Amino acid sequence: MIKTDKIYFAYPGTGQTPDVLKEIDISIKSGEFVAILGHNGSGKSTLARHLNALLMPTQGTLWINGKDTKERENLWTIRQTVGMVFQNPDNQIIATVVEEDVAFGPENLGVSPAEIRQRVDETLATVGMESFALSAPHNLSGGQKQRVAIAGVLAMRPDCIVLDEPTAMLDPAGRREVLETVTRLNQEGITVILITHFMEEAVLAKRVIVMHDGEVVLDDTPRGVFSQVETMREYVLSVPPVTALAHKLRESGLDVAEDIMTVEEFVQDTAIQKALTTPSPSVIPGLTQVAGVSSKNDLLLRPAQDSITISTVGGIPSQGRDDREKVVTQIKNLTHTYSPGSVFEMTALNDINLSINQGEMVALIGHTGSGKSTLIQHLNGLLKPTSGQILIEGEDIAADKTKLKALRQKVGLVFQYPEHQLFEPTVYKDVAFGPTRMGLTPEEIESQTKKSLTTVGLGEEFYEKSPFELSGGEKRRAAIAGVLAMGPKILILDEPTAGLDPQGRREILAQIKKMHTELGITVILVSHSMDDAARLTDRIIVLNQGNLLYDDTPSQVFSQAETLLKIGLDIPQISRLAARLGELNPAIPSNIFTIDALADCILGVAK
Amino acid sequence: MTRITIGQYYPSDSVIHRIDPRFKLLATMFYITSLFFVNHFGGYGVAAVFILFLVKLAKVPVLFLLRGLRAILFILCFAVVLNLFMTPGENVLFAFGFLRVTMEGVNMATQMAVRLILLITGSSILTLTTSPIQLTDGIESLLKPLKIIKVPAHDIAMMMTIALRFIPTLAEEMDKIMKAQKARGADLDTGGLIKRAKSLLPILVPLFVSAFKRADELATAMEARCYRGDVGRTRMKVLRLAGRDWIAAVVVTIYGVALFMTRLL
Repeated sequence: MIKTDKIYFAYPGTGQTPDVLKEIDISIKSGEFVAILGHNGSGKSTLARHLNALLMPTQGTLWINGKDTKERENLWTIRQTVGMVFQNPDNQIIATVVEEDVAFGPENLGVSPAEIRQRVDETLATVGMESFALSAPHNLSGGQKQRVAIAGVLAMRPDCIVLDEPTAMLDPAGRREVLETVTRLNQEGITVILITHFMEEAVLAKRVIVMHDGEVVLDDTPRGVFSQVETMREYVLSVPPVTALAHKLRESGLDVAEDIMTVEEFVQDTAIQKALTTPSPSVIPGLTQVAGVSSKNDLLLRPAQDSITISTVGGIPSQGRDDREKVVTQIKNLTHTYSPGSVFEMTALNDINLSINQGEMVALIGHTGSGKSTLIQHLNGLLKPTSGQILIEGEDIAADKTKLKALRQKVGLVFQYPEHQLFEPTVYKDVAFGPTRMGLTPEEIESQTKKSLTTVGLGEEFYEKSPFELSGGEKRRAAIAGVLAMGPKILILDEPTAGLDPQGRREILAQIKKMHTELGITVILVSHSMDDAARLTDRIIVLNQGNLLYDDTPSQVFSQAETLLKIGLDIPQISRLAARLGELNPAIPSNIFTIDALADCILGVAK
Repeated sequence: MTRITIGQYYPSDSVIHRIDPRFKLLATMFYITSLFFVNHFGGYGVAAVFILFLVKLAKVPVLFLLRGLRAILFILCFAVVLNLFMTPGENVLFAFGFLRVTMEGVNMATQMAVRLILLITGSSILTLTTSPIQLTDGIESLLKPLKIIKVPAHDIAMMMTIALRFIPTLAEEMDKIMKAQKARGADLDTGGLIKRAKSLLPILVPLFVSAFKRADELATAMEARCYRGDVGRTRMKVLRLAGRDWIAAVVVTIYGVALFMTRLL
C-alpha cells in the first residue's frame, strides 16, 4: 500500500540544505503494524509527513496505493487514505465540541450529512469516547484527546493511520488507552505506522524500522531489531529493559536467548529456567546488598496517612545519615481546594503530611490530576493552602509575605516543558534572568550563571546562541540552568524528561543526579515515569486523587503493583520481571528495579 | 484565568440550545438594538423579564451568567462614574469642588449600568447556548449573500471557531507561564507603568512563541484532514428552520411590541 523509490528530502532554504531523508526505500503492505524508531532529528517525523503528502520528496517517488504523491490530483485521495495523528493533542483538535471535531474530516471530504452523523457515532464508539460526544475537548485528559484525534482520522475511512509520537505527552494510563486503541484498529485490518520513542511500544508492532541520520538502517521484526543491542546503542536508542538484561546475562556467560522482548519470554527462557530452578544454596550471602535493597526489606509497607510525620526510615542509606537528618521541608495537614464555594469546587489535596530532609532525593508520583502539580506549587508560595501549613527550614512560608522572593530563591521550581519559558535573545541572558531579579551583584550573577550552565553541560559556545536555535534537550537544559542559577537549596522538577528521546532522557537524569550529589541540593522529582523514579531516588511518594497513598522506598512501593496499576500508574518492567522470577526461585527478591541489580542477582543464584 | 465565561458554551439540551443559530444571531442583534430605544425604566423591566425567561428556558445556572459580568466590571464602574459626575443638570444633589452629582446624572448612570448589564447577559445567552461551531455556521450562513462582494464568509467563520477553541488553552498556558516566571523571580505586581510593561516581556514572548507554534501545528493537522477552505465542504449539522424557530420568532416579536409600548408610557 505504501512504496517508496529512493526518496530524498531537504527542507527548502538558501543554498545547499542538508538532506533530511536519504535514499529511503521501503514498502509497507496493507494491514501491517510498523513502528518507526530513531533519535530526535533522525528524520522519522519528516518521513511520516511524506506519507500523507504534507511533504513531497525532493527526489525519488512515493506511491500510496499506486498513486504518486507528487501528482496534484491525488492529493485529497491520499490524505483520505493515510490519516495522521500528531504528538500534541491540543494542537490538532479544531472544534470546541468532540463530535464536531470528529466530523471535521468527513465534512472536508464532502460526505453527506446523514453519513457523517453515522460515521461520527461509529468512530467515537470504536475509540470508546461515545459518552463524551458533547464534551469540550479542553476538559478531557490527554489520552482521551488523543482518542478523539484518532476518531477524527477514522471518520475519514482511511486504510492507514500514521501516529507521530502520539503518547509522548501522556501519562501511563493515557498511553495504555491509546496503544490499546491502536492495536485493536490494526486487528480490524487498518495499517498502522507508529512513530515512537518508547521501545516497549515498538514491541507491539510486527515490524520495526530504525532510522538514523535520515536513512533506514534497520528494518526487521521487533525481535530481529532488538536482539542487536550494540547496534541499537550506536544509533543512540535503547532496547526494552528485559532485552537489555538478557544481553547483559549473555555477556556474563549465561546462555539466554538473544531475542527476548517481554517479561513472559524471559521467564520461559530455557537457560533462565535451568539456572533458577536448579536447587541452589539457600540464600547467597550479601545478595540483598548486591540487589541494592536495604536490610529493612521486611519492613511492611504502611499506608502513609497513618503516621503523623512520615520519617524516611527505609529510604536513606545509613552512611551520611547524620547531616541528612535536618528537615528542610515540612508539610502539615495541607489541604487545597480550587474555586471553593462555586460549581467548580474541587479538592486537589486532602490533608497531606510530609517531611523532606536536607539533601534527600525524592520522587513524587501520581497520575495526571492526582494533585502533584498543586502540591509543588505550594512549596514556593505560588499557591496558598486552603488549610494547613508549609515550613521551609522551619519557617512558615505564609507568615511573612515580604520574604516571598527569598523563598522562591531557596525553592527552585522547574515547570513541565520549561523550555516554553525561554524568552531572552541569548541563552546566557536567559539563565541570568533569575539571579538578576534576585538582586545579586554583577559578579555574583556572572559566576552563578556560568556555574549553572556548566552543571547542565552547556559550554561557552552556547552563551551567545538564541535559545530558540537549540535542540529540544539543550533547550530544556538551558531552562533548568535558569532555575539552578538562582542557587536554590531545594530543586523541584516537574516531569523533566517528558517528550524527550531516550538519549535526552538519559542526559537530563544524569545531570539531575550530578546536581544532587555535587551541589548537595535537595531534589524533588515529579514524574509519572516509575523507571526514572526508581533509577534516581531512594524514596517515592505516591499521590492519588489528592491523598497521600504511599511514602516509602522504591522497592516497597513497587511491590504494590496491583494498586499502582489501578490508579493509572506503571511499575518498571524489571520489577515485574523480578516478581515473576521470584515465583521460580524464592532467592530472587521481588523488590529489584534496575537491570544491573537483577543481573547480579540472577548470576548469583545461577552459580 | 481559565474560567472565562464570555464566549463559553454551556452544553445542555434545552429549547434555547436547539433554536437555529441564525435566528438566535438575528434575535440577539434585534435585542441589542432594542435596548437603545428604551427611554423608560419600564422598558428595562420588560427586557429583564425577557432575559430571565430565556435563562430559565436555557437551563443555564444564573451564577454562570453573572460570572461573565465580572470581565466587564471595570468598564461598568468606569461608565457609571463618568456618567454620574459628567452629566450636566438642574437638580444638583450635592457638590464638592468641581464635582457635581445631579439627579440627571444618577438617572443616566443607572440607565447606563442597567443597559450594559442587560447587553452582556443577553449576548451571553447567545454564546452560552450556541456551540461555537453552530455560531460560526450561523454567521457564515448569514454572511453568504455578501460573498458576491467578495466577503470571505467561510474564512471569517473558521477563524472565529479556532479563536474560540484556543481561548481556554491559551489562558491556561498564560497562567502556567506567569507562574513559571514568578518562580524565577519575575515581579509582576509592583513598580511603575514602564516597569510593569517591561515585566510583561517574559510572559508575552513565550506566549507568542507558543501561539505561533500551535498555529503551525494546527494548520498542518487541518491540512492532514483534507481541509481546503469551503471547496466541496459539507456539514454534519445542516441548518434548517423548524417549528420551534417560528414560535421563537413570535416570542421575540411579542417582546419587541412590549418594549415599544413602554415608550408610550
